[in-house]
Amino acid sequence: MLIRCIRTENKKLKHSILWLACLAIPLIPAVMGTFNYLGNLEILTPGWHNLWTQETLFYANFFSAPLVALCCAYLWRLEHRNHNWNALMTAPVPVWATVLAKFAVAFRFFLITQLWVGILFLASGKCIGMEGPAPVEILGQLLRGTLAGAAVAAVQLFLSMAIPSFTLPVILAFIGSIGSIYVTAKGLGFLSPYALLMLGMNANHQENMLEGQLFPFLAAVAGFALLFGLLSIIWLKKKDIRA
Amino acid sequence: MIRQLRAEQIKARRRRVWAVTAALGLLLCLWGAFNYRHADVSDLAQGYSGLFYQLPLFNTILLPLGLAVIASRLCDWEIKGNTLKLLCTLQKKERLYDCKLLMGFKHLFLIACMETTGILAAGARFHFTEKLKIRLLALHFMTLLAAGAFVYLLQQTLSLLWENQLAPLVVGLIGSFAGLFSLYFPKEISRLVPWSYFCQFTPILMDWNRETRQQRFYPTEFPTALFLGFLAATVGVYIIGKLLFVRKED
Repeated sequence: MLIRCIRTENKKLKHSILWLACLAIPLIPAVMGTFNYLGNLEILTPGWHNLWTQETLFYANFFSAPLVALCCAYLWRLEHRNHNWNALMTAPVPVWATVLAKFAVAFRFFLITQLWVGILFLASGKCIGMEGPAPVEILGQLLRGTLAGAAVAAVQLFLSMAIPSFTLPVILAFIGSIGSIYVTAKGLGFLSPYALLMLGMNANHQENMLEGQLFPFLAAVAGFALLFGLLSIIWLKKKDIRA
Repeated sequence: MIRQLRAEQIKARRRRVWAVTAALGLLLCLWGAFNYRHADVSDLAQGYSGLFYQLPLFNTILLPLGLAVIASRLCDWEIKGNTLKLLCTLQKKERLYDCKLLMGFKHLFLIACMETTGILAAGARFHFTEKLKIRLLALHFMTLLAAGAFVYLLQQTLSLLWENQLAPLVVGLIGSFAGLFSLYFPKEISRLVPWSYFCQFTPILMDWNRETRQQRFYPTEFPTALFLGFLAATVGVYIIGKLLFVRKED
């Protein structure tokens, strides 16, 4: 049933310009971050690590969470419009399968975006003549960021389901990202799903922000994903059709 | 026109657009004030200058997406309800475009008012020792309105032209990102990015001393010619946007 639901979600996304956002938005940090790196070589130590800090400087802090939010809001917008909600509520499909299918599609969207970020990072490094292969830690940070995206996707799917508006959950993710800079600075990053993205991607830091804290990080990611996944299922079970 | 504006006001009820405006204004004020919690004597001696330098940067990050959300909220009900077809038999399309624009400008004006009040409140709360220059405060208010008006015009046009509100939001997100990044480039390049104009007219520049790790803010001449050129471009976007909307088949 889950596979069938995922296939349905995929069909709903056909001809959507969501993929354009997924491809276009990471181009900005890749191009501009690389030029910024080249322009500041007097201050920065040349190397892959500093190129990474320049490319993830704003992407992880401000824009990756709204990007996930955009995808989640779009997935639920289809249900909120044209009386589709009633069709959803009366469909012979278990609620958990609907929620999990949307989560799988949102996570796949972010996974592809992160892969694209990684490819652009490697390509931009090679284009400016960076020597040697990229450090494995950076690929690890990309993976950690992707996992944190699962927590953000779960939270945003819940918000987009509960708020019948396309734009409000996106602005909430943006505000959440900005607020999370303060939360991270206070050392409370594990309490915010948006801060997990920053910690995971090691945004604008040379030293590992999760040194010795990988397990608490993974636990926080799993905790947010499970909590908001369950909340979504319970909420959807209790919600009635809209006459 | 007044009756049509009132109709827009009624349509905006329970849309929570006010919540978005209030959240944006509040966040900008809090973000601006955040840096002054542990300010030292030298920070307080250039407190207002620091705010006039930093707030345009925060505006560049927040407002492109924020205004995209406001524009989308104000236009989306026509798209969702498929009301344009009927509405445009009762009212001129040009008027509808103008009414929606005025509604959006009202929210932009409120954000600018909140931010300006926030500057005054931060000065009083943290006891800035720098004397407030009213001219700089007025310039800040005016340039925020001008840059915001351009971005809002762009977003409203996109929101009315595109049935799918995903596209205007993606443009808003790209705008925030591109506007912020372009500030790290030479002026000739950054001036090509419309979303960077929240920062282009700032009357304050910063000098960062790497040895002492101190920042010094100093005034610079207001780029009057650039500002007038930008206003002319805004009028151009208004005319083109309105024309595109009027010619659009509903």
